[in-house]
Amino acid sequence: MLLPDHQYVTTNSLKECLRLLAESREKAMVVGGGTDVIFNMRLKLFQPDVAVSIRKLDELQQVEELTNGGLRIGAGARLADLAEHPAINDRYPAFAESVRAVASTHIRNMATLGGNICLHTRCAYTNNSEEWRKGLNSCFKTEGKICHVIQTSSRCLAINNADTPLALIILGAVLTLQSAGGSREVPIAEFYTNDGMDNTVLRPDELLTHITIPPVSDRTAFLKLAPRQGMDFATVAVAARCDGTGEKVSKVSIVVGSISTNPIILHEPSRIVSEQGLGDEAISAAVDSIRDELGPLTNLFSRASYKRQMANVLVRRVLVALRES
Amino acid sequence: MPPPNDLSVIGRRQPRLDGAEKCSGRSVFADDVDLPGMLCGKILRSPHAHARILKIDTSKAEALPGVKAVITAAHAKGMMGGRRGAEPVFADDLVTYKGREIAAIAALDERTAEKALQLIEVEYEELPPVLIMRHALQAGAPLVQADKPGNIWSDNIDSYGEPEQAFDTADLVFEEKFSTSVTHNLFAEFHVAVVDFTLPNKLTLWTPTQTGLLMQHALGPAFGLSVSQVQIIHLNTGGAFSGRGGVRPHHYIAALLSRKTQRPVKIFAAGDEEFLVCRALGENDYRMRIAVNKDGTIKAVDMDAHMDGGAFPSEVGYFGWMAGLCNSWVFPLQGNRLRRRVVMTNTRPHFLPHGGMMLTSNAAIMQLCTKIARSLGRDPIDFLRQNAIEAGHHGLSGEVFASCGLKECLDIVRRESGWDQKYGKLPDYHGIGVGIGAMASGAKGAFKHDTSAALVKIGEDGIVTLYTGIPDMGQGTHTTMAMITAEVLGIRADQVRVVAGDTDLTPIDVGAFAQRGTVQTGNAVKNAALDARGQLARNAAAQLGADEDQLVFRGGKIYAAGNPDKCLDFARVVYGTLHSGEGRFTMGRGFYNSPLKIKTTSWSFGAQVAEVRIDPETGVVSVLRVTVAHDVGRVINPLACEGQIDGQVFSAMSQLLYEEVLSDEGMYLNPSRLEYKMPRTYEMPEISHHFVETVDPYGPFGAKEIGEGIVVTTGGAIAAAVFDALGGQYIHKVPMSPWRILRAVRARERSAVA
Ligand SMILES: Cc1cc2nc3c(=O)[nH]c(=O)nc-3n(C[C@H](O)[C@H](O)[C@H](O)COP(=O)(O)OP(=O)(O)OC[C@H]3O[C@@H](n4cnc5c(N)ncnc54)[C@H](O)[C@@H]3O)c2cc1C
Repeated sequence: MLLPDHQYVTTNSLKECLRLLAESREKAMVVGGGTDVIFNMRLKLFQPDVAVSIRKLDELQQVEELTNGGLRIGAGARLADLAEHPAINDRYPAFAESVRAVASTHIRNMATLGGNICLHTRCAYTNNSEEWRKGLNSCFKTEGKICHVIQTSSRCLAINNADTPLALIILGAVLTLQSAGGSREVPIAEFYTNDGMDNTVLRPDELLTHITIPPVSDRTAFLKLAPRQGMDFATVAVAARCDGTGEKVSKVSIVVGSISTNPIILHEPSRIVSEQGLGDEAISAAVDSIRDELGPLTNLFSRASYKRQMANVLVRRVLVALRES
Repeated sequence: MPPPNDLSVIGRRQPRLDGAEKCSGRSVFADDVDLPGMLCGKILRSPHAHARILKIDTSKAEALPGVKAVITAAHAKGMMGGRRGAEPVFADDLVTYKGREIAAIAALDERTAEKALQLIEVEYEELPPVLIMRHALQAGAPLVQADKPGNIWSDNIDSYGEPEQAFDTADLVFEEKFSTSVTHNLFAEFHVAVVDFTLPNKLTLWTPTQTGLLMQHALGPAFGLSVSQVQIIHLNTGGAFSGRGGVRPHHYIAALLSRKTQRPVKIFAAGDEEFLVCRALGENDYRMRIAVNKDGTIKAVDMDAHMDGGAFPSEVGYFGWMAGLCNSWVFPLQGNRLRRRVVMTNTRPHFLPHGGMMLTSNAAIMQLCTKIARSLGRDPIDFLRQNAIEAGHHGLSGEVFASCGLKECLDIVRRESGWDQKYGKLPDYHGIGVGIGAMASGAKGAFKHDTSAALVKIGEDGIVTLYTGIPDMGQGTHTTMAMITAEVLGIRADQVRVVAGDTDLTPIDVGAFAQRGTVQTGNAVKNAALDARGQLARNAAAQLGADEDQLVFRGGKIYAAGNPDKCLDFARVVYGTLHSGEGRFTMGRGFYNSPLKIKTTSWSFGAQVAEVRIDPETGVVSVLRVTVAHDVGRVINPLACEGQIDGQVFSAMSQLLYEEVLSDEGMYLNPSRLEYKMPRTYEMPEISHHFVETVDPYGPFGAKEIGEGIVVTTGGAIAAAVFDALGGQYIHKVPMSPWRILRAVRARERSAVA
């Protein structure tokens, strides 16, 4: 499995990078750490004309302290560095946990935060070689019009398997998207769409440059369940946040990942515990209300029914973790 | 009681002699071979599980600059691959599984070969496939092979002793059904073949394998060559786990391409292709019955198995036979009955996993034994101990167990695992289980002989070179062979250089399978070293004025027994033997062939206790601790034996709890290391290693196998521990994946409420 023909460009300034993206648009693909994009190119899932590396852009690798106590992280920062960053571990333990939950040490040594946030959706029916895919009719991912996961679906149901966005969503992080034409700020909670093909609002000429996390004094927690410890995508992952102490809370937010095309922000369960507190009964009521919000579970890499049950288990556990933190 | 140890090399912790070379990346594997002018070969595989080939048009591919040859079934008329020659190298007009070889290309480079592959046009007429064994057995199911009605490849019943009578007269009969899933051996080194067949009478193949000899036997006739005209070079083999037992289509194809292009050709499996090339476990359904008396005597076992052999079953039935037979290696049965129906489906041809079918059948048997013990109010270890065979036992199919430490192994694991403090006393979802097992050290039967031979050459500086054909696929056998040589000659193991893995250089060796290495090749090596020693002894005896048979070779010295102070230096004796009137250069020859007509002389035995914890919410099973006691006859290298234990405990845990090739309509959904879930080091349990040395009369220095006896036993122990953790509930399907465990947890909760 060789890389498709392409041009690999290491850009030396943000300006140059944005100009190249503006020129090449759909034909370009940004390479952060390359841990996902390069492999998908080998599978011929991605066939960009230009692979645009941002590894040499120093301004995208910094972690800046903001005067309000928040942090502004460059999209090119390596996960390995973020996992050990004192301010991150100190202020945003759930985020630090989600960074350490990604893949393995080797991969975190290469992978960037921007790459994790912009990670493409994955599917058991497409994330294999071109030769392998010949045994299937084309699906949305391969210029077809069907989804193998749920045949009647009118959109691609591949899953968002990334870990760090869950923690960033509950922290209220904001993404800075820059293009040659300007810059915009998008809350990460609004970044993802429910279309597995085109799963973010990022435009082809845009680059994610920074992630800004506001100061947060609430309690937070992140949990991931995977078939193996290390080197594995989640079966289900959750992140949650609440104010108050012990069982007393007034505002709880919960987000579930790796079960759908986008991270799912749970409204009803959050409302229940926000109103009733984190007592066992309220937590059970919250867990019981999850089902309606998960939507069609995409049966990928592990059984849908198992994923559903695990979403319940993890939400319960994350709420208990909040209570006890 | 430990055996008297008068040995100086054997029993010492000897690091692998090729360890530094391996760790520093200098070991050469087949994929490292790069010959002048070598072409890249690629295989076009069928995307359909069942189809008729209407037309193949290779003209566009042939026209692509850089393409040197394109071949199809038309270029391999009558050429049959597979272990029993049942599998045409290319699909001719009928495709019977996804991944089937349709055509192949040799091109100047990989990029051109990949492009050319896309240019071959094949027109198929799709036919309805049967993809699941259950469907294949239904009336009216499409046939995989027209001459195999009902998709039954073979149906055999073997009956040993008096099983019917035993079941009729037994107090109790326990019966349960179990099944297994499709797996992959997933070795570190993927399938690869490099062939140089540019001279008409010489075919050289570099490839990882468990047996150079069987490959010579298959390739020679296919290409009109004699055995010696086929040279197999298996420098290092990156793992095998029963998955490299023979020739596969890609070996033939590389040879065809090399002959046609008159250039060396390399073919390697890329990524997910590996899962189509490999031959591992298919679906098996077992119905196991055990007859027991109330006093705890196990009287008979009856196994009725359906085994999915895929599109070309080869020897699946034979391994099913072993899976049933092995019960009479641990229990003194009155009767043992085994029926194996091998079924064909439109899937990859299946073969066997690490531990063969014995691992999963033992997982079934040990769950059943735990159940029986509970039903009889007995402690499972007591129950197994009551039924364990002893040395001198005669098995039902003619086996004679000359050495056997099974009961001692059980006693050790009971003590070392803290069994008495734990069994029946652990909290919910925390379980402890015991398993026993046995494994044949070599199983004569493939040929009339089961011969290994060896040569020992001693340079005038006293450095010894050992020539052996046994492949080292990670098990460390080359170091073992060096230690045996060193023991006989009284030198250090690192003074022995091993030349191996090249059939042109080394004498015959049937191969590294059926756990024959240590016993068969070990004896051959010992004989060769003894032959060399005899030549030196003549010279030394004359100098010492002693009898030859009184001489001791030890610590680099030669002396008469009881008189170590009057000694000769080994290297000087070697030097003197050459630099003499006779001018003798010391070379020893030896071979070994099991004295039996078929089967084996020596079995290893073991007992293990596993402790597991189940998370009742997620169904995840954590293996906490495995206590291993194994009767290996004699520990040649404790380091290697412990390594074998660690690796096999890992493999058993992996197969039992994790490994499964998932598929949808015949498409494998997880054909990668990422998605084919094998555990990692994080999941490894704590392991304690204990050895019992029964000093077998046949093995070299009393040694027996340690190749698969462990993995089979661990499978039983972990399954029994899971059964215990679930409060005595069976898990009927391997792998015992979290969602399957969770179903059992729910069932348990429901029955507790009811
Ligand atoms: C074996 C293995 C295990 C893995 N396990 C996990 C896991 O457990 N959890 C997990 O979350 N991920 C996992 N991954 C996926 C991946 O490695 C990580 O998500 C990683 O963080 C991706 O970062 P990267 O910098 O390497 O991204 P890249 O591969 O460089 O890029 C990923 C995507 O993001 C785009 N992109 C990158 N940077 C930017 C930017 N600044 N602006 C706009 N677009 C950008 C790229 O164009 C591409 O589409 C795993 C991968 C492998 C191979």
